[in-house]
Amino acid sequence: MLLQQGPAATTGYMILGFIVILGLITGLIVSMVVRRRNLDRDLDLLDDLDKQAEK
Amino acid sequence: MMDPMPRALRALSWITGVLFAVALYMVLFYAPREAVMGDVQRVFYFHVSAGWVGALAFLTTAVCGVLYLVKADHKYDQIALASVEIGIIFTLANIISGSIWARPVWNTWWTWDPRLVTATVMELIYLAYVMLRQGIEDPDRRARFGAVYGIVGFVSVPITFLSIRIFRTIHPVVIGNNDPTAQGAFDMTPQMLQAFMFSLFTFTVLYVTLLWHRIRLQRLAERVEMLKMKVMSA
Repeated sequence: MLLQQGPAATTGYMILGFIVILGLITGLIVSMVVRRRNLDRDLDLLDDLDKQAEK
Repeated sequence: MMDPMPRALRALSWITGVLFAVALYMVLFYAPREAVMGDVQRVFYFHVSAGWVGALAFLTTAVCGVLYLVKADHKYDQIALASVEIGIIFTLANIISGSIWARPVWNTWWTWDPRLVTATVMELIYLAYVMLRQGIEDPDRRARFGAVYGIVGFVSVPITFLSIRIFRTIHPVVIGNNDPTAQGAFDMTPQMLQAFMFSLFTFTVLYVTLLWHRIRLQRLAERVEMLKMKVMSA
């Protein structure tokens, strides 16, 4: 980069960098949402089973 | 019986979304293009912020480890585990985005530089934390192990931070003096500095928001586990 005229053409690397960072954060959020939904479903089912067992 | 989201958390989630959109705008459009590296330098703002969140998350784990050992309160173990998960993701984002930045600037995806090595070792230490915890059945033993591991593992965080200040390295130093062999260093204009500080602030708020959600998830998982035991024993 010593003899270059103006900024280097590195837009592609920038896009890739942001895709990785935003992708990982989005992945974490989606995984938390999915886990939450599954746990809510399990909780409802277990609550029903618990009530049935008490009867 | 679903646990409704607290109003404060709902508000914080919205605020975090708005802050993130503003940070993205500042990084992509407000901060000027760096004169030598070009657009890839914009990755720097989120790369450093992600590294900061990783360190902050592992610090939280260490502090919660100490608090658990002192008070034996299970909530500190929940916070520690929640924080490690977030720390691992952000440290991974930091390492991979650094590698992408390095390709055009250092002309290589990876080099065995002290900062890159210490950051990777730190990531592996906390990956092992999660894996080893899963192998312990007894919740009290698991929490005690997690607390001690979280405290000892935290040694890797200052080592990673200081590695570019102690050892001879090509990794640029943002705060402090650069090693003469550093490649990819640059002087920040006022707009660059504003975008950088705003990104750091936004990522810190994002960490708090994610941590709160993750702790609630952990509590729900434990509630489900307890109810499962009750139903199975009935």
